[in-house]
Amino acid sequence: MKYAVIAIAAVAVALLPFGLSGYHQGLAVYVAIYFIAILGLNILTGYTGQISIGHGAFMAIGGYVTVIMSHDHHTNLIATLPVSFAITFACGVLVGIPALRLSGVYLALATFALAVSVPQLPLKFSKFLGGSNGLQTDHAVSHIWLYGVSWSCAAILFLVGWLLLRGRIGRAFRAIRDSEVAAASSGVALPIYKTFAFGVSAAFAGVAGSLFVLATNGFAQPNEFAVLLSLKILIGAAVAGLGSLWGVAVGALFIGLLPEFSASVPIIGSSHGEDVVFGLIVILVMLLLPNGFAGLLARLESSFKTAIKSDPQAS
Amino acid sequence: MGRKGKIFAAVAGAALVAGIAVTAAFGAHHATPGITATEIKIGGTFPLTGAASLYKTIPAAEKAYFDYVNDHGGVNGRKINFEILDDGYDPSRTVPAATQLVEKDGVFAVFGSLGTAPTLATWGYLNSHKVPQVLVATGDSYWGFSRKKYPWTIGWQPDYPGEAKVYGRYIAAKIPNAKIGVLFQNDAYGKNYYAGLRVGLGEAKAKIVDAESYDATNPSVQQQIIALRSKGADTLVVFATPVPTITALATAKAVGWTPTTTFINNVSANRLFMLSAASKGANVDGVISTTYTASSTTQKDLPGVKLAQALVNQYAPSLQTSFAAGDGNIIYGFGVAWTFVYALQHSGKNPTRASLMAALHNLNTSKNPFVYPGIKLQTSAKDNFPIEQEIMIKWAGGGTGDWQPVGKLLNGIR
Repeated sequence: MKYAVIAIAAVAVALLPFGLSGYHQGLAVYVAIYFIAILGLNILTGYTGQISIGHGAFMAIGGYVTVIMSHDHHTNLIATLPVSFAITFACGVLVGIPALRLSGVYLALATFALAVSVPQLPLKFSKFLGGSNGLQTDHAVSHIWLYGVSWSCAAILFLVGWLLLRGRIGRAFRAIRDSEVAAASSGVALPIYKTFAFGVSAAFAGVAGSLFVLATNGFAQPNEFAVLLSLKILIGAAVAGLGSLWGVAVGALFIGLLPEFSASVPIIGSSHGEDVVFGLIVILVMLLLPNGFAGLLARLESSFKTAIKSDPQAS
Repeated sequence: MGRKGKIFAAVAGAALVAGIAVTAAFGAHHATPGITATEIKIGGTFPLTGAASLYKTIPAAEKAYFDYVNDHGGVNGRKINFEILDDGYDPSRTVPAATQLVEKDGVFAVFGSLGTAPTLATWGYLNSHKVPQVLVATGDSYWGFSRKKYPWTIGWQPDYPGEAKVYGRYIAAKIPNAKIGVLFQNDAYGKNYYAGLRVGLGEAKAKIVDAESYDATNPSVQQQIIALRSKGADTLVVFATPVPTITALATAKAVGWTPTTTFINNVSANRLFMLSAASKGANVDGVISTTYTASSTTQKDLPGVKLAQALVNQYAPSLQTSFAAGDGNIIYGFGVAWTFVYALQHSGKNPTRASLMAALHNLNTSKNPFVYPGIKLQTSAKDNFPIEQEIMIKWAGGGTGDWQPVGKLLNGIR
């Protein structure tokens, strides 16, 4: 049943851009970008229980990798994506090592510090990293190209995430999330799996960051990776439902399409409408759907199954 | 499918293809987007929220001016519909906003967008779509030099390196024994200013005893001020954004240093910032800068300032307080909007995007009431900088004082 839904969704996503204007194709690209970033964060926070408010930093790293490779070495844009994945994976592991000693609020603070400081680096090393005037890729790309690439990456990374999480590694992650002591005593090597989770999660964010820069006309600049970006990804993951892959699409749709809908908020208007609507919806989701959209899906699924069981005709 | 069915399908298919071809052929007659018989639609991106939101008075003033023009019949009977979008100074928001303006809202031109990075993020896209990106609110000189590659982009205000040359020439001429200490932001913004200063100084650049830079990420410039003092500088030149400038002035006083002359760049010379610096203890008297707009506080008798006051009262009452306090951004906004209307009036009875650019590339008018008296807006095939004149100003009156003009209007600052 789930596979049928996925197949239909895949076909719909593949055909969608041909019916959309360039502007709406652009919006769909942002949904794909947030999809990938939220997926990565979900692996770290939802499945392994390590909170991070710093994924904007990994997006920045990935974005700048792509821009520098394109600007300085004229590398093919798609070829920069695996490099971005690899480099941010390494950065994620590096961050994960000291993070072994931290948890909860302290880990959140440490990753928050990352979110604040990393995007400032291009201002410090402005000769190499472009400074406040930013850096540009060597050529721009069309909306439809970007749509194809970003949703292909989303599909590939979703598959990677799914394969990772359904096997031994996924079980180890969930064990760590539920109880580190129990996991350790069951033979799960905590340091390895926890840093691996950080690495994978960061790698996903890195690819999202590369696509994010490409969606910004190939222009990378520190202001694009402000702290709010990290918070948005976390909120998207919470709305999606931590610990489940199926709600990620809803979380991404929420974050990606919100600016579009909140621009026409009555009374408050467009300049603060986005912030107000954002805040309101987050509060509502936390109150009514504490397990996010995935929780809602799970409840619907179980009530559907109960309905079938109790239906004498169904057997 | 029977034989009749196949014929029917073939005919229907042919009709469909023919219909599409005909529509495409007619559709190929491109009407200029954003212009109807009664309306001209334009839009721009500005930091209405975020760290740079103090500039939001600029689009507010521009809208007020367009409302005034619309009340007086518009331009050739067309009213100007100005859409203001917030990008929070974040290029990743500027790009979708610009895309929205062009592809969803179908604007005639992108007007007045603020910020170097936001403009750099969008000029490739706008130029490749042949959408005018006009009168951008940033003083970097890229827009003046790039007419060949980005012909649809043009700036308005005097550029930063040109302004820095003015300071250089002034020092070389008037302060022969200066020991110059320069504080500049360590990126393209600050370095372009510093390079302009050295060009303006000419041989006098040997008098630079020290140049200290600070990172945009760390506007605490105390170490740099102390270093400049210790190297014996008596003429301080500060090329910084408002916050570090205010900090530099206050810090100089705090460490007991009184340079004989201090120069600050025009971007940081808004009267509101000077009052802020004075309130933090800085020595503001005698600080020198430049301006190119009329002053709402010291030039109240000018027709342009009187008009500006009337516009604020009628169309933008929320700006009254800052106007009265001397926020130069408001008259700046009026000046830019005036220029756009002037260009529209010279784009023919039925403006097209190309005719708008032609008008902006051939400006030659001294009638802008909002710029400093005597300033001419001039562009040509060889000159893509609309304003290249400035006048030096000096602060007097301490914590409640104001800028006073010094000397004559300087021409050809570049």
